[in-house]
Amino acid sequence: MSWIREGELNLIEKISANVLKAGPMPKHVAFIMDGNRRFARKKNMERQEGHMQGFNKLADTLRWCKQLNIQEVTVYAFSIENFKRSKDEVDGLMELAKQKFEKLLEERENLEKHGVCIRVLGDLDMLPLDLQQLIAKAVITTRAHNKCFLNVCFAYTSRYEITNAVREMAWGVEEGLIRASDVSEALLSECLYSNNSPNPDLLIRTSGEVRLSDFLLWQTSHSCLVFQSVLWPEYSFWNLCEAILQYQLNHKHIQKARDLHQEHQNLLQLESDRACTAEHLQHHGNGKPADAQRRQEELLHYTTCREERVQDFLEALKHKRDSYVNDLCSEGVSAQ
Amino acid sequence: MALLYGLLWRFLLVLVHVNRALVSWIRVRLRSWKGRLWERAMTAMLLPLALAGFPDHQKKLNRNPGANANPVTENYAVSRRSRCLSDGRSLEKLPVHIGLLVAEEEPSYTDIANLVVWCMAVGISNVSVYDNHGILRKNDSRLLEEIVRKQQDFLGGDGSKYNVEFLSNGTDKHQHHVVSCRPTVKVLSPEDGKQRIVKVAQQLCRSVENKERSSRDISVTMLDMMLRESKNIPEPELVVKFGPVESTLGFLPWHIRLTEFISLPSHRNVSYEDLLGALQRYCDCQQRLGQ
Repeated sequence: MSWIREGELNLIEKISANVLKAGPMPKHVAFIMDGNRRFARKKNMERQEGHMQGFNKLADTLRWCKQLNIQEVTVYAFSIENFKRSKDEVDGLMELAKQKFEKLLEERENLEKHGVCIRVLGDLDMLPLDLQQLIAKAVITTRAHNKCFLNVCFAYTSRYEITNAVREMAWGVEEGLIRASDVSEALLSECLYSNNSPNPDLLIRTSGEVRLSDFLLWQTSHSCLVFQSVLWPEYSFWNLCEAILQYQLNHKHIQKARDLHQEHQNLLQLESDRACTAEHLQHHGNGKPADAQRRQEELLHYTTCREERVQDFLEALKHKRDSYVNDLCSEGVSAQ
Repeated sequence: MALLYGLLWRFLLVLVHVNRALVSWIRVRLRSWKGRLWERAMTAMLLPLALAGFPDHQKKLNRNPGANANPVTENYAVSRRSRCLSDGRSLEKLPVHIGLLVAEEEPSYTDIANLVVWCMAVGISNVSVYDNHGILRKNDSRLLEEIVRKQQDFLGGDGSKYNVEFLSNGTDKHQHHVVSCRPTVKVLSPEDGKQRIVKVAQQLCRSVENKERSSRDISVTMLDMMLRESKNIPEPELVVKFGPVESTLGFLPWHIRLTEFISLPSHRNVSYEDLLGALQRYCDCQQRLGQ
């Protein structure tokens, strides 16, 4: 089964899609694709077959999202906690991932045609080396595509991601690129694996579980959460429509909460800049109290410098991450 | 065509709203009907007891002349309390820490206080209350006052006895009963969420700046310790969200990794049965922890 599935919606689906599109649509939807094993048990299948069907459903869902003008999808494919499962199952899932990423490389033309960019969020180091190399190759192949985005969370937990972001910032401090006082909510967000995506508008979890299981905890703090009881391999176009309708009902409130949060964040940044300027003036002002104009100038100067520092740091971080993937990819090529 | 779709969309939204309103109306109706039945049954049961007069309770009343409790209300309170306790015991599992999330609703202090008191009465020892505007945090003394009042109402003037059996760690046994409950009720705001994580990150970066630590030392456990130590709250196992928005609205992002989310339509005029229903739904949740 391939990543891209061709197909059209039938008439009723098309009309419904158009009706939904008349309202505010989510730009980024995240999925916790839960229920593959329960589905397999229910249908008396092998566990692996359940996971297969789950993957096929992902291809369907991507198609529906595209038809509903949703440009970005993030899925929880494999959690770091999942390494605790039986060796048999973990090996099976790794094998499945390998197959799928190989398939992806075979389909590169089709992916290019649809402009699908694939990113993998997580700690690749935890995976078998051949899978790491495959993933790196897939990511590099589709890197330039920009019509729709699929983020696959693999060897991922949100706590790990946040910790990693803190580690990256600490690295920036070590390298002398930023100062500890530059650390802010916005900067932390920029250091997450998901730094290239806007926060998801809608998070869908299937199979009736009502928790986040360490998925995008930071990014979904102002997203609409929809928990649906259907098992993932049985997910249908109508389930997706229902979730989107939920989002539309919540849209105004969530937007308001987001704006409030943003406003508050800006205020905090300003406060922190002020505090830093005040400290600076105290140290270099020869003890004389600075007048208002001097303080204002100083503040402006400090803010510009801080923004430059942060920009340089983020560029260095991007370079570090890109070269990590590039190295992996070229290693893979030379090994073959 | 676009206009037609737009109209249809609006119509669909209205339909969903009507549907929701209808469902909640029916629920309220059903509840008030059940409530009346319950009340009648209780009075019928308590009347003979009240007439006989508990000697035990008379003594206590004499000790607290200030308490304006008559035997009927006191008995009522006692039975309500034991009902809550037995409800709590009959549940298969209870969260140790519950979060009450008020999502984009004007907070009603009475209702929140009721919820907190009920949670404690069923046997939940940590209750966190949150709203994303930080209104509750700003007015936390008012909320705590209201909780004290509700607790007294609920206990029917006989607080001290209830408190001893309620306290699990028993640190403040000798003090006024509300003080001893206080460590278990927390009022949270967005500051305790992402901002707290940012503060910890800053702290770590500062220690790196001062060459006390290397960036490679930073781990999930370290962050977890620092975030936990500061507040000393176990992670909430359950968050009950009230209000029209299906979102966490910034509620402790680090701590809700395994938290179950259960929604109730509103915290205004919420009843004990609603809370109990949420707790029962929590019992049906199974954690697999990645397995």
